[in-house]
Amino acid sequence: MTRQRWLRPLALLVAAGFVAAACGGGRDDEDDSSGDEGAGGEPAEAPGFDGETIRLGVVTPTSGRVAVIGEPLTNGNQAYWDYVNEEEGGVAGRYPVELVVEDSAYDPPTAVQKYNQIKGDVVMFNQLLGTPVVNALLEQLEADNIVAAPASLDSFWVREQNLLPIGAPYQIQAINGLDWYVTEGGGEGDAICTLRQDDPYGEAGQEGIDFALEQLDLGLTAEATFPVGNPDFTTQITQLQRAGCDMVWLVSTPTDTGSALGKAAELGYAPQWMGQSPTWIGAFVDSPLISYLEENFIWVSEGPEYGDDSVPGMAELLRIQETYAPDQEPDVYFNFGYLESRAVHQVLEVAVENGDLSREGIIEAMNSIDELTFDGLFGDYAWGAPEDRDPPRASSIFRVNPDRPIGLELVVAEHEAPYAADFEFTD
Amino acid sequence: MAAVTHALTHVFRRTGPAPGLVLAYADEVKLLRSPRHTPWRWVLVVGCALAYLWLPTYLGDPGLRVLSLCGIFALGTIGLNLLTGYTGQISLGHAFFVGAGAYTAAYFGGQRGWPMPVYLGLAVLVGFVVGGVIGPFALRLRGHYLVVVTLGLVFLGEHLWNNWDSVTGGGNGISLGSAPMTVGPLDFKEGIELGAEAYTFDQSFFWLVWALVAVGALLAKNLVRSRAGRAMQAIRDRDLSAEVIGVDLARYKVGAFAWSSAYAALAGALYGLLQQYVNPTEFGLFLAITYVAMVIIGGLGTIFGSVLGALFVWGGRSLIEQNSGRAIFDPLITTSSGEGGLFTIGEFNAVLFGVAIVLFLLFEPRGLAAFWLRVKTWFLTWPFSY
Amino acid sequence: MTAVAAAVAPVPAPMLAAVTGDDLLQTGFSGVAVGCKYALIALGFSIVFKATGVINFAQASLVLLGGYLTYQFTQTWELNFYLSVLLAMAAGALIGILVEALVLKRLVGEQPATVIMATIGVLFVLDNVTTAVWGPTNRNLGDPWGVRTRELLGVTVADRDVWSIGFAAVAVAGFFLFFRYSPLGLAMRAAAFDPEAAMAQGIPARRVSRVAWAIAGVVGALAGTTLAAGAGQLSPATGSLALVAFPAIILGGLDSPLGAVIGGVIIGVVQQYTALLAPEYFDWVGESFERVSPYLVMIVILLIRPYGLFGTREVRRV
Repeated sequence: MTRQRWLRPLALLVAAGFVAAACGGGRDDEDDSSGDEGAGGEPAEAPGFDGETIRLGVVTPTSGRVAVIGEPLTNGNQAYWDYVNEEEGGVAGRYPVELVVEDSAYDPPTAVQKYNQIKGDVVMFNQLLGTPVVNALLEQLEADNIVAAPASLDSFWVREQNLLPIGAPYQIQAINGLDWYVTEGGGEGDAICTLRQDDPYGEAGQEGIDFALEQLDLGLTAEATFPVGNPDFTTQITQLQRAGCDMVWLVSTPTDTGSALGKAAELGYAPQWMGQSPTWIGAFVDSPLISYLEENFIWVSEGPEYGDDSVPGMAELLRIQETYAPDQEPDVYFNFGYLESRAVHQVLEVAVENGDLSREGIIEAMNSIDELTFDGLFGDYAWGAPEDRDPPRASSIFRVNPDRPIGLELVVAEHEAPYAADFEFTD
Repeated sequence: MAAVTHALTHVFRRTGPAPGLVLAYADEVKLLRSPRHTPWRWVLVVGCALAYLWLPTYLGDPGLRVLSLCGIFALGTIGLNLLTGYTGQISLGHAFFVGAGAYTAAYFGGQRGWPMPVYLGLAVLVGFVVGGVIGPFALRLRGHYLVVVTLGLVFLGEHLWNNWDSVTGGGNGISLGSAPMTVGPLDFKEGIELGAEAYTFDQSFFWLVWALVAVGALLAKNLVRSRAGRAMQAIRDRDLSAEVIGVDLARYKVGAFAWSSAYAALAGALYGLLQQYVNPTEFGLFLAITYVAMVIIGGLGTIFGSVLGALFVWGGRSLIEQNSGRAIFDPLITTSSGEGGLFTIGEFNAVLFGVAIVLFLLFEPRGLAAFWLRVKTWFLTWPFSY
Repeated sequence: MTAVAAAVAPVPAPMLAAVTGDDLLQTGFSGVAVGCKYALIALGFSIVFKATGVINFAQASLVLLGGYLTYQFTQTWELNFYLSVLLAMAAGALIGILVEALVLKRLVGEQPATVIMATIGVLFVLDNVTTAVWGPTNRNLGDPWGVRTRELLGVTVADRDVWSIGFAAVAVAGFFLFFRYSPLGLAMRAAAFDPEAAMAQGIPARRVSRVAWAIAGVVGALAGTTLAAGAGQLSPATGSLALVAFPAIILGGLDSPLGAVIGGVIIGVVQQYTALLAPEYFDWVGESFERVSPYLVMIVILLIRPYGLFGTREVRRV
């Protein structure tokens, strides 16, 4: 058997082909995009900008389990730009904005693939959803010099050159929530506990609580964890009950919130529950759990009460939602998406003013902004070069009230623990 | 080059004794006989080689990235096919071995900065050893019971990746950004340079991955047509009979597991290099099912089918996604401003993908390799094809 | 990358109060309740396996769809809840029959791998059609059980858990009667035992498969309903528990309905006791070890009994 004989022609072929390929193809010069910089004049064409329309990328799950977050977020992104295009004529009154939406299915390889498909057609990314997705894309964003707005309140984005996060991170919510409870909320001397997811999101909340306890010179009474989609919370609830917890800081998503608090109600355990912003969903208002929630649940987030049109920013959001997304149910993620677009808008305005919508131009514009503002809906974000950035440090406290639009009523606006500013976001 | 022209001129020529006639077993298992005997294989080999060289200069980087990922899946699928298609041991645990390879590369390449050939080799070794340790379970369990036990591996793996922080980075995941990617003078990370030409990362990586696919496929093909391969197939067809005629069940079942997971681990390591970042959720049930889908769609018990299956499942999904935006589907799809129909674009793609799988299986239940065989027969028997 | 707060000093480790007997009892009961949900899922897998010899991945979407069907009848069309459950079961049966007629019927006699793959394709379609129709947000099923409880042997028992257990009991009794006494049930047992011999005896293989899928739709709807009961529990993730229930299916023996229930309960109890005891007595195993422990128990049992606790031992001849 002379099996190897066929290899020879193949090797020849491969060699010949390599030569052909070497002559034919080559690396595209990616840097031909920066164009001529007419400072103050018309921005030159750039990837995602054809001289008329500015295109922004969105890579988000529109199918699968996390679509529950991805869909309202994207609707919020879109509604804001519809408003800008219709009523202001676009960025700087001239350049309408178009979103290029791709489904990531919350799957990192799919997301990376979609990112690469559209990165050449967009000026920047208006939304990337999912911590694993953003992590998987971080190095690429740096290599490509593209800016993206990550749709989560994770703390590790704060100092990234290529990211544009908004809002106070989860740690800040936990710090302020606990501080409010101990100082003003009547929880002095109470046993403090946590019930959290067993993942980085859960750990972020735990970090905030640990920091605040340290500052207040208190200790943690119990720490219970659970996996996402936990089928039954009996053991976690009995653990908290046994430890005598008076206040439990909850870090979860709505399905687990309903399951955990449902079990607590059934077991007759009624501590003060305090939940981070992703714990809540409007559907709880019509659930059998509502009376238990009214008595025992406090929600910690940012900004004014949903639907309070005495706050100008909220009034405008409501009007825009009604006009451009009439089918959208009230949803905190819609608001988040809307605010994300607002932040991106501020960057784009500066970039157009500088006459440079290239990738370098966007970064330059972004770094030259001192502060990103959100009309009171979120705290202002001190901006600038990565080392100067500083997220908002205040949080709002809500109680449950089924008569309000998403079932939440403001108790205290913008509570800021005196030591919240000491929490450091390192590199 | 003479051989090539020779091959091409013989493709459609049909003179002399029946071209399909096989006279000896050695001929039967030859990879490539003279073009006169196996013209289609020659067309295929030459076509693939040309595509390999030409595609990177034709397709843009995003398209190449899809194909690189397909190649990575193809490597893993070849491994799974050795186990499932050739040895008959269905495993849902492939994602675990893929993860083991990815984390091996992340640790030795990303954290320790060892050279690429070393950490890729280590990944293969780790896969081989871990597979060899898991293999003995298959001696006791059969069929669906084995399926679910191997599925347990995926959950055990996720638990391990989530908790072994010092190596895996825990739930946050870990970067492979600092893993060196040079082999001799070729730097795949910055893009290789050949002569005066410099290529991009995606071009270089495409060449790397598909070269490894070719080597992997060749090795697998050699394995299955050797004594070991015949033993494996005997086990698949009836393990009890195989044992009676003297096949060492323990050796070959465990061996199949070890080799299969070595392939998976290599695929995982390459996946890590392509993504530059890995985290535990990526090696879960979904990936495990994707691999099984690729094996079945490609065709059980064919190496070539494994590659086709990977291309069809991953590439097909990408194709669907690129084309589902066409206007004729608009009434079905809702946009972010709330207009249109029932589905979001993501849901619509997933539905189309599911429908494609079902339709394909109804049309060709034995996979793409069988379809290829059908096409071949049609041409060979032309004009009396039916 | 974790990047956070060098300023955070370690907080003294929380004190843990010892586990009491009451806790053990309460946890045991919760394990049984969870186990019955698993059992309902497992029954759906088991019936299709018994009739056709394949693991039906689409069962996960029948569970999801079942939950939404009940929601549709009781919340959108405002029918009585129990009537809605019955209607959802009927609709589930119809969908099962439809899937069988459109897809599975045409794959009779193909390799098991092909059929399994087809069920995965069906899973993709049904799951995404379901989320497209009802949207991705969490919903309330509208069950009448609320958070009501009762005391039973010193244990606080939630009404919805009692109903889960009841549903599982009714389903397994129904299975038992069906397979023991109905001609079709007997035919199915014969078909499962040896399809060729059964067909030679004039047993209608197609009808057997169709009925199996109908029953899978019925128990899927029941399982979906019990999983979705509670505050905001109905969501696209509801079906994913079905794929976590695999150890329960295998543990009892794939082809044994009684085994499915017992396997489900064992897995539920193991899971709950792990969640209770691991953080206090063996926390070195890592967080959320309860996701893994059912598989470990399953592996150990299978190594001792390779066909599960109640599975039929395959007769193997050379």
